[in-house]
Amino acid sequence: MTNWKALAAAAEPPVPENLLPDVIPALEELEAALRVLERDIAPETLLWNGREDEE
Amino acid sequence: MTIAEIGAALRSKKISVRELTEETLQRIADANPRLNAFITVTGVAARLRAAVLDHELACGVDRGPLHGIPIAHKDNIFTRGVRTTGGSKIFADFVPDYDATIVSQLNDAGANVIGKTGLHEFAYGITSNNPHFGAIRNPWDPERVPGGSSGGSAAAVAAGLVPLATGTDTGGSIRIPAAFCGVVGLKPTYERVSRRGVMPLGLTLDHAGVLAATVRDVALALSPIAKHSSGYRPVTHADLRGMRIGVPENFFVERIAPDVMLSFRAAVQTVAALGAHVTEIKLPDVEAINVAGRIVQLSEVSALLARYLDRRDEFGRDIQVLVEQGRLIPAIDYLNAQRVRTVLVRDFSKIWKHLDCLMTPATPMTAPKIGEMNVAIGTFTEDVRTAATRLTRPFNVLGWPALALPCGFSSAGMPIGLQMVAPPQQEDTLLQAGAALEDAFGIVGRHPPT
Repeated sequence: MTNWKALAAAAEPPVPENLLPDVIPALEELEAALRVLERDIAPETLLWNGREDEE
Repeated sequence: MTIAEIGAALRSKKISVRELTEETLQRIADANPRLNAFITVTGVAARLRAAVLDHELACGVDRGPLHGIPIAHKDNIFTRGVRTTGGSKIFADFVPDYDATIVSQLNDAGANVIGKTGLHEFAYGITSNNPHFGAIRNPWDPERVPGGSSGGSAAAVAAGLVPLATGTDTGGSIRIPAAFCGVVGLKPTYERVSRRGVMPLGLTLDHAGVLAATVRDVALALSPIAKHSSGYRPVTHADLRGMRIGVPENFFVERIAPDVMLSFRAAVQTVAALGAHVTEIKLPDVEAINVAGRIVQLSEVSALLARYLDRRDEFGRDIQVLVEQGRLIPAIDYLNAQRVRTVLVRDFSKIWKHLDCLMTPATPMTAPKIGEMNVAIGTFTEDVRTAATRLTRPFNVLGWPALALPCGFSSAGMPIGLQMVAPPQQEDTLLQAGAALEDAFGIVGRHPPT
């Protein structure tokens, strides 16, 4: 999983330390959920484009 | 009064547009110190325009049902020559040099702009507790939030200050305040209403729409702004015979406050009594939609707002946190969230083979108190923002039209909202179902005691 704290420190400008307790938990939660969902994406799947008729 | 009632009074000369405008401005002057629904009131321009609209009617020029109707625009929607703050300090003095398309369309239809309504900072939140312009208050209980981000629009309509207001909706920002304030809010199909001149937030999630006191008023406002509008107007005392309405048996009925669930179940019984064919349906993975939607939104908003990080101190703390989250999300995750969205849209769209409409609670709870960060729903405690958006966000991700309308009141006297959802471009179905329900409920259009 991503080291969000290291990423936050390396960002330009860095994420202020006092925000980290509120910033990181949601990112960890979303990353964990996305990793599961990504497994089921077929290679040919395109980006959503707002149209219903894409197959 | 409804838009139709005001229109009848104007055409029978019981009232002029000028008198209507003066009354409206007076109501706002009386109520705004208490509610803080408006950031800007455009009294001078509204009076001038009222005179023109009166003159037109006197000359036989009738622009239609919105002729002379006072309207408020959310303050993230461009109005030429009138400052448009986005509820932010950064844009506090921004004055657009053109009208948003939705503003032009409603102007052409005869609406008279009265002012600009307050919102959650950058339209990026659901409380409308704005650090720069002050907290907007819920007319049903001023200690509670009106919802957001279109909180000022919903509060203004609920308090009877204006019969019509515009809003924007990226994760529920029209429907949540509509539910919390007991008014009707429509998020149309993705891209059915122009976003030109609307401050962008979620680039592939933003929708522009309207809030009004009744479903029929929403129908009148949709007609001039919707691409390929049919001009549909719901008939009086419509029934729902033959309409296939789905009621989710998962997700949308889980972690719901008891008062809300009670009203929702009563609404389901009402649609059945009106002749609809009600089917319980197990929906695909709604949690997954919200995960994809949150990643997409965080990334897209930060792509827009990160450029202002050198003025970080001018953001409220909640916006700072969200902007920082968004700029840390890798591009690969954003792109894969959009691909997950493609798959989910395809999966969810299969429900329309068997249904015309879906009904859910609009929010899991009624309006929280101003400053409350968490909400207890039964034995479950949840962050207010996550709770309020969890039933609305899926339809931004899917791009489907969704209508929120009041369906009851909690034991504390706060409005409870119902959400009706239809396939893309089928707003008329929502208006038909919503109008039948507002007749049956007999509570739509009710204003709080002053």
